[in-house]
Amino acid sequence: MALPSPPGLTPLEIAFLCEMEMVTVVPRQRLEGLELLGGPTKPLHPPHRTSLPLWLALLLKRQRRANILPPPWFHPTALTSILDFERSNTDQFTPPPPLPPSPPGTATTSPPFLSSSTADAPDGALPYHWLELGEILLDAAPDDIVDPDAVRRLMRDLREVRMAKMRAGVAVLDGSGMVGLKGVGGMEVSEGRAFISGVVDGLRKIGASREQALREREAEEGDDAYEDIAENAGEMDL
Amino acid sequence: MDIDDILADVDGDSTPQETRDLQALTRAWVAERVSPEILAYPEALLDRTVERIRRQIELVETQTGNMDPRTNFRLVIIQTELERFKFLVRSFLRARIAKGRGMVLLIRAGIHIQIDKHALHILTTPTVRARLSAPELQYLTQHHALQHAHFLASFLQNFPAQLQRLDDTAGGISMIDSPDLDAAVFVRVLRDVEEPLVIAGTNASVVLKRGDVWVVRYSVVSELVAEGHVELI
Repeated sequence: MALPSPPGLTPLEIAFLCEMEMVTVVPRQRLEGLELLGGPTKPLHPPHRTSLPLWLALLLKRQRRANILPPPWFHPTALTSILDFERSNTDQFTPPPPLPPSPPGTATTSPPFLSSSTADAPDGALPYHWLELGEILLDAAPDDIVDPDAVRRLMRDLREVRMAKMRAGVAVLDGSGMVGLKGVGGMEVSEGRAFISGVVDGLRKIGASREQALREREAEEGDDAYEDIAENAGEMDL
Repeated sequence: MDIDDILADVDGDSTPQETRDLQALTRAWVAERVSPEILAYPEALLDRTVERIRRQIELVETQTGNMDPRTNFRLVIIQTELERFKFLVRSFLRARIAKGRGMVLLIRAGIHIQIDKHALHILTTPTVRARLSAPELQYLTQHHALQHAHFLASFLQNFPAQLQRLDDTAGGISMIDSPDLDAAVFVRVLRDVEEPLVIAGTNASVVLKRGDVWVVRYSVVSELVAEGHVELI
């Protein structure tokens, strides 16, 4: 059976991805290591902290077999400073957490497998799945979070500030569709996808003939045509 | 086996193969869900995953009779994970089939039919056809044959002979609908790319740095996606 949904992940699918993030848990019961399909898990020995995927941590939490240790960025003080950064830098998002070193040519990991939400994560950066993870933790483990009400309020503020930036970013969209969104979150991509790609595709179709003309001139003038094209494009914009 | 798998094997990464496969499968699933065209079928990866799922199901079946509460809880965890994997594989395959099927719209009120065009695009373009797995190709060929036969029997036979084809390209308009490869996609850069990305015909040019997120045309990054320098999100 074919999948009926249009391109782009649905919010539920984003949440599914987010549940693969590693979080730190403090077990309350022993549990031997398991050979799971996604790799073995470490045995749980209370009260030693262990990193587990979020879905498993939630399962343990629900059965009161473990407590979840929220990541450092999910603390009222850290969120307040992130919110300050978001408010004072209107043209960019909070940078994502620094990436682990990766020599060129090796296999690369990316969210949700970056351990950006364990207890050792940096506190001044929002990971890719910040919104989903925050909502899930607030929902499933409010008793493990410092001042959940303040955190909930800060999350809402952050979300609004960032959504406003996404909306403001629409003004710079053009047919070439080169827009940088460093630091954007997974749920924000999902929300903005239909609109942003719709605008970019629409503008591209409107500008298709002009682009074709430029491309032909480029082919005629050969390799040194680059500057000319930049100038021409500048004039045509006027 | 794709280049990432080979490289990962060579550098002797400490991450277990299972975890790397989960990461690769997740990436492939997301990419297939958002890319406008069908991507290469990761055969080795899918074979390994399906085999592991089969073994895990066997394990669950043999242990279900065990009434010890501790084993029981372990089984709950294993089954939860099993369901997650099954969802991932199923959604991945279904997303691929959806692209193959294209849109068959039979709006009953007015006879307004858009015929299985993506399927024709895939079947008639050798490079795209090579990306399908054997069962997918078989499905698509048969589905298309059945549909063609059905259309022929129900209404095409009443048309003049020159209007009966489904893959007509006469008159400057092709009936074979191909995916819009210039569609805008969201990508994340996995490795620094030295060559700046330039779109011919516009003066846009960007340098791709690891960790950046860009909205770009699919056509300019499709090679970088295949090489694993950027991923679709």
